Amino acid sequence: MIRIALSSLFFERGKLLAALSGVAFAANLVLVQAGLFFGFQRASTAVITRAGGDLWVMARGTQLVDFADPLSPGVGEQIRAVPCVERARPVIFSWASIRKPSGGIDNVQLIAAEAAPGRALPWSLAEGLPDDLRAPKRIAVDEADLDRLEIPRPAIGQPVELQDGPVYVGAVTRGIRSFTVVPYLFAEPREARRILGLAEGQATFWAVDLVDRGCAGDVRATIERHPDLVVRDRTQFEQMTSHYWVIGSGAGATLAFAALLGLIVGLVVVGQTLYSLTESRSRELATLKAMGASGRELASFVIWQAGLLAVAGSVVGLVWAAGLARLVQTIGLTVVLDATVIGAGLGTITGMCALASLASVRKVVKLEAAKVFR
Amino acid sequence: MMPPPESSLIRAAHVHMTFGDGALATPVLHDVDLQLRPGELTLLTGPSGSGKTTLVSIMAGLLRPKSGTVDVCGHRITAMSEGEVARVRRQHVGFVFQTDNLFPSLTALGNVAEVLRLRGMPRTEALGRARAALERVGLHHRLDHRPGELSGGQRQRVAVARALAGSPRLVIGDEITSALDGATALQVMELVRAYVTPHTAALIVTHDHRLERFADRIVAMEDGRVVADQAVARA
Repeated sequence: MIRIALSSLFFERGKLLAALSGVAFAANLVLVQAGLFFGFQRASTAVITRAGGDLWVMARGTQLVDFADPLSPGVGEQIRAVPCVERARPVIFSWASIRKPSGGIDNVQLIAAEAAPGRALPWSLAEGLPDDLRAPKRIAVDEADLDRLEIPRPAIGQPVELQDGPVYVGAVTRGIRSFTVVPYLFAEPREARRILGLAEGQATFWAVDLVDRGCAGDVRATIERHPDLVVRDRTQFEQMTSHYWVIGSGAGATLAFAALLGLIVGLVVVGQTLYSLTESRSRELATLKAMGASGRELASFVIWQAGLLAVAGSVVGLVWAAGLARLVQTIGLTVVLDATVIGAGLGTITGMCALASLASVRKVVKLEAAKVFR
Repeated sequence: MMPPPESSLIRAAHVHMTFGDGALATPVLHDVDLQLRPGELTLLTGPSGSGKTTLVSIMAGLLRPKSGTVDVCGHRITAMSEGEVARVRRQHVGFVFQTDNLFPSLTALGNVAEVLRLRGMPRTEALGRARAALERVGLHHRLDHRPGELSGGQRQRVAVARALAGSPRLVIGDEITSALDGATALQVMELVRAYVTPHTAALIVTHDHRLERFADRIVAMEDGRVVADQAVARA
């Protein structure tokens, strides 16, 4: 039956192209929207992920990385004194303002952290090296934000007026954008404290590396005896932050709606094409039924066609989505097309094609063989 | 050695058929008895609405009668499930219709072979038998042509090859020559006639009197009843 099904599909090229376009359109929308969703999630939690640590210590009431009060200078020492804590690394994440050469003011987020062993922060440099930030008054800025902040090119060495004081561009990052597109500036913790007017040993968060993950509960209980501190698992804090931005802002719902729209369009186009192909071949299929073909064999006529449309349309949609992902990267958006997104996206498209084939399957199974005599 | 011929390949007894229910019920067959014996080509004739197509659909197991019994090659199909009847048709019955009903996307060879593949025949064997069947109907030079590239007569010959390729014991046809010109119609009937042996039979519904010369028997129907059943002396 596969030969009959696929040859019938290829024989009607107009219908085949229409159906393939429908599936590819749906696959593209589903993949890009899902990729954007995970891209937003990654963007909103990138600093937490890159700073690492098993636990994060923060001021009580803190719900996300972007809004937190600085902790007292002695907190780091208190954490280091807790048994099972291997390291406590300061993370500074604070709002700051830049006065641009034209006189305007723009908000930025100043980030500094003592990186975990084997990790670098910032993690993607277009120009310069992480060590270039060790020099006094040096910051890193993303290449996508240079124009917005009116920093001329080449950017290295250019002065920037941050928090009413001069600093200089020591490195340029690539593709490190916040969910809110507020520019991220990176500095060494010592430099960040100076810029923000924090005391030595002060930080917004402490990333805690444990000797043994099994003692996380004890460490948490010990630190939380301090009335102003709360301890969160790093992945839990990532989820809280991404939920705030991606779900709370409505961005997730917007993306889901666009994906759903793509699925509906694909469902209608594929459903109509399969039904029309089945309708146009109903006499031939009834002939096969008269000759003894079973309902299952006749249903496979539709199922093979739906399967081919799902596979071929998904491949086209995936290539299309990969092209779009590259394109939107140039405007600072990240579309994550990893194995999970691709697997889930293609699974959804296969489900869509299966759903679209139901009416046609029902039609062929219910075909009346006696109609061939009329 | 072939087994001895059976007394009948199809036997319909006391068949009643009605379409619709209640006040809208329309009786179309009244207590019809008909047997199809091996070695016979039977023509089923009668005016439009006389019940020929309904009777042939019931005898082929495509419709269920309201009452009565039908046996096909020793199987009481009126007592079987739809799936079981389909298996009997698959094994014993070949069909030719008024229109060829060929898949336009498949070649002549593909149209015949795919039906054999549905019977579970391996691909190589199915292609071999399909090629042989098409050669028997004189289409050895049109194996790779699609229906759109064949004349009406050639398409109908492909349909005959498709019906006969599986070596069914019964061939059932409905107005198989009505869309063909005179000469082509006779060629198609000659193919069916040649297939009828002491172990096979054919039942052809027709209005075409030119086909009578091929028949061993002519059964006439009127108003849902068999009104004549005559053997024909063939030269």
